[in-house]
Amino acid sequence: MNGQVFHTNTSESQPLIDLRNVVKIYSSLAGSVTALQGIDLQVHRGEFLIVMGKSGSGKTTLVNIVTGLDRSTSGEIWVDGAPLHRFSTEKAARLRGKTIGVVFQSFELLPTLTVLQNVMLPMDFARRYSVREQRQRALQLLQQVDIADHARKYPTALSGGQQQRLAIARAMANDPAILVADEPTGSMDSGTATAVIDLFADLVRQGRTILLVTHDKDVAKRGSRIITLADGEIIASETSEGIHA
Amino acid sequence: MLRPRWYKVIHDLFGNKTRTLLIVLSMAVGLFAIGIILSARSILSEGLARSFAAINPSSGTVRTIEPFEEDFLQSVRSMPEVQEADARRNISARVEVAPGEWRNISLFVIADYGDIRINKVSSQSGAWPPPEREMLIERAAFQVIEAQVGDVMRIKLPNDTQREMRIAGAAYDPAQLPAQIDGTPYGYISFDTLEWLGEPYGFNELYVVATHPEDKDWAQHVVNLVKDKAEKSGYTIPLSMTAEPGQLPMDDVLQGILLLMGSLGVLSLFLSVFLVVNTVSALLAQQKRQIAVMKAIGGGSPQILGMYLVMVVSYGVLALLVAIPLGTVGARALSQMLATMFNFNLPTMRIPLQTILAQVVIGLVLPVVASLFPFLSNLRISAAEAMSAHTIGKGRFGKNWIDQLLSGSNLWFTRKLSIRPFLLSVRNTFRSKGRLALTLTTLTLASATFISVFNVRSSLSSTVDDMIKWFDFDMMLTFDRSYRFDRVEHEALQVPGIVQTDVWLQLPVRRVRPDGSESSMMYMFAPNVDDSALVRSPAIAEGRWLTPEDDNAVLVPSALLQDEPGLGLGREIVLKIYGKEESFKIVGTFVGTPFAPIIYANYKYLSKVANRVGEADALLVRTHAHDAASVEAESEALEKHFEDVGLRVSMVSTLVNEKAEAEASFDVLVVLLLVMAILLALVGGLGLMGTMSINVLERTREIGVLRAIGAPNRGVAQVFILEGITIGLLSWVMGSLLAIPMSQGLNQAVGGAIMGTPLTYAYSMPGLWLWLVVVLILSALASFIPARNASRLTVREVLAYE
Repeated sequence: MNGQVFHTNTSESQPLIDLRNVVKIYSSLAGSVTALQGIDLQVHRGEFLIVMGKSGSGKTTLVNIVTGLDRSTSGEIWVDGAPLHRFSTEKAARLRGKTIGVVFQSFELLPTLTVLQNVMLPMDFARRYSVREQRQRALQLLQQVDIADHARKYPTALSGGQQQRLAIARAMANDPAILVADEPTGSMDSGTATAVIDLFADLVRQGRTILLVTHDKDVAKRGSRIITLADGEIIASETSEGIHA
Repeated sequence: MLRPRWYKVIHDLFGNKTRTLLIVLSMAVGLFAIGIILSARSILSEGLARSFAAINPSSGTVRTIEPFEEDFLQSVRSMPEVQEADARRNISARVEVAPGEWRNISLFVIADYGDIRINKVSSQSGAWPPPEREMLIERAAFQVIEAQVGDVMRIKLPNDTQREMRIAGAAYDPAQLPAQIDGTPYGYISFDTLEWLGEPYGFNELYVVATHPEDKDWAQHVVNLVKDKAEKSGYTIPLSMTAEPGQLPMDDVLQGILLLMGSLGVLSLFLSVFLVVNTVSALLAQQKRQIAVMKAIGGGSPQILGMYLVMVVSYGVLALLVAIPLGTVGARALSQMLATMFNFNLPTMRIPLQTILAQVVIGLVLPVVASLFPFLSNLRISAAEAMSAHTIGKGRFGKNWIDQLLSGSNLWFTRKLSIRPFLLSVRNTFRSKGRLALTLTTLTLASATFISVFNVRSSLSSTVDDMIKWFDFDMMLTFDRSYRFDRVEHEALQVPGIVQTDVWLQLPVRRVRPDGSESSMMYMFAPNVDDSALVRSPAIAEGRWLTPEDDNAVLVPSALLQDEPGLGLGREIVLKIYGKEESFKIVGTFVGTPFAPIIYANYKYLSKVANRVGEADALLVRTHAHDAASVEAESEALEKHFEDVGLRVSMVSTLVNEKAEAEASFDVLVVLLLVMAILLALVGGLGLMGTMSINVLERTREIGVLRAIGAPNRGVAQVFILEGITIGLLSWVMGSLLAIPMSQGLNQAVGGAIMGTPLTYAYSMPGLWLWLVVVLILSALASFIPARNASRLTVREVLAYE
């Protein structure tokens, strides 16, 4: 399967995310582990790409590589035309601030900032808006994810679903073209999970490109394309109309 | 409106109060120690210089046996080399401090208390000048004579006159050795009172200030000119001294103290640096995941670094807010204590700006520099790794030989024992080796310094023991003039309880240098050195003690070799004895303080050279019982007997008192060392608590996991307490070893400053055990408190802890 190319034709020919023969090897006390074995993957603008696979299949590694949180051992990663594989961690952080919003399974909210401040922080780092604008925009985003009433609370005062909504609002802070979510519903009940996925689906309708990792087949059905990873390789790719469901 | 990132900084600072308190305290104790030491050093140096300059100190003193009058004083004042001259009468007397208990006292008679030109004495309290038939007592002497203003004391003069005199007031005379140090109290009377005491009018002490008092060689030259002039005028000069320019009598000891304070200041600085580095790296380790999250949402390294630097600087500012005022109060208290002990006034308690600046630089710049290392190493790992590595604690246990050593196969004997928590603690200790190394370095340094301070204290005590252990007598009587030795020995043995006697000659000598110039005056002691001698040998630093066969052999104090260049073991020394130059050979040096330079020579040889065969200046007495009370009783009986048979005793000193006085001269150092030990225990102890507490806070999630798998709260606390104790014990062992060279260095520095030779090395076992107790208590407490707090949280809360 190595080297096999999976892609769907979308409205634009230039992929927003373009992975070319990406390899990631981890070294540990137990020896070397190849987490990704020559991944080729293109994601086009407006796609809702679902990444599935068992534990240890390389899903999270793929997310880390695509977002620049980790470096590949070899291969090329192009994001919105930028060669992420050549970027320093510093430059990668700036790219994330501008182009990629990241949502983690365990939310990773900053506990000493309020809900509002958590959303404002990426804007502060990106220096895109004045503090007043940051505040207004953060409130809009919180309204969008339906937790504006909790703006002054600390994240620990929110439920799991609300925390993930907050994490999504934070990821949207700088209006990124891409949202990458690593099992965002992994620790939620089905009702809450559905609401969160609805939110992602809305964002795709608004033109975002989403790469979402999940175990949940029901969640996966909502994507426009599903790829399945096993042992660091893409073993299946199928398109779906779930986005419209 | 603040940017959100600064809200995070503020919330991090004040949201986690325990952590902030620990970090601020850890930093503050180090800064406090530096502040107290630097400030006290500065206050004392300035106070010493200013208060000494205020008395117009003499360049030298010339004492005459025959009293002289104003005309001679005027002739000295008119010498072109003399800037100023003044004169006093100084008489040795005895004062009755308790019924039948007499102590030596020096009485100064000053002609005009309103016109003291040199070594100015001023009023401290009560009457001024001393009324007729009354006396003033130097303020530092009250504790020695156990009296206060208004008391009436009985005074006995060598002429056998006894008078009752009221203490009319207290005087302040910083030019004299503090009474509690040399054991001699000072009194001040008028010439009318002197007449009433049956003594003739006249001065016997001449103080001169040379035209260039800052030049010691010139000052000495001028003192010698004055001495020659006095001799030509027919006066006998038993003593002349040249003072160190600008130095108080105890300057050497004080310099030793300041040196010690400086050394401890440097050690405290190192300790603070390690504390700060340790604290900041622990803080950053704790914040590793949050840093990774900020990177994940687009935070750039300079932005995140800026946030943490502001945070670290804020900790520094908070620590300074605590440390600077406390350091100021502490420094003032310490300076006052030392100034009281050394009997000088502190005209200013001003804390120098440099000290504050040093603290500010150390408190602000150092943490910033310290935080750069862990931060940059944090930046080297990817955000993904930082976030995943957080699962349970940190570190990569199992990789190297230490980890292998602690593996199950090597600890097979523990399998049947219920000591799993212990194993977990020991292995946890070695899990994060970088942190362990940093923590251990800090604590080892604290341990070594604490133990070294105790070692210096023990060494001082050993040095005093060494200094007197060669004296095989119980008391020494000095006579008003010399007597035939067979007579004094015969009379002494008439007193019951006295079992053996010996005599020596003591005479003033001066070294004649190769260029013809002369040193200041020294005492030459010439004891018997045969088998029956009561002086075996002083503590030899180099060479040997005298033998009966020695002719022109001498022993000099090791400190003299530093003061007088060109002298050394085996070399010649030319001494002027009664105006005649005699050549001697230095066969040994002994441990001795420089403020009483003594040269030892053989009685048999010196009595011939000085033309004093068969004479004795002092009688050494060995009594049947050696306890303080018996010796005191014997000395009174002997003094009474000598009085009855017409032998005039000017001074009596018992070895017990001599030892107490020698120890008293080190008391200041001992007290200071104890203060330093407490300070270091505070720095080290709080540092230990801070570091360990932060270590435990960092592992709050691990506590959650332990509890999730069924560990009871007690079991969890046990794991962390044992880990703390393991670190504490390791630092104690390493510190106790490091203390050996460290205290040798301090002994060398302190002994060198005070006596010109290192102190007799002694390792203080009480210090070692005391620190062990402190370490055990503190490490257990430091681990227990945060572990208990963490175990009070629910498992869910703990696992969500950041």
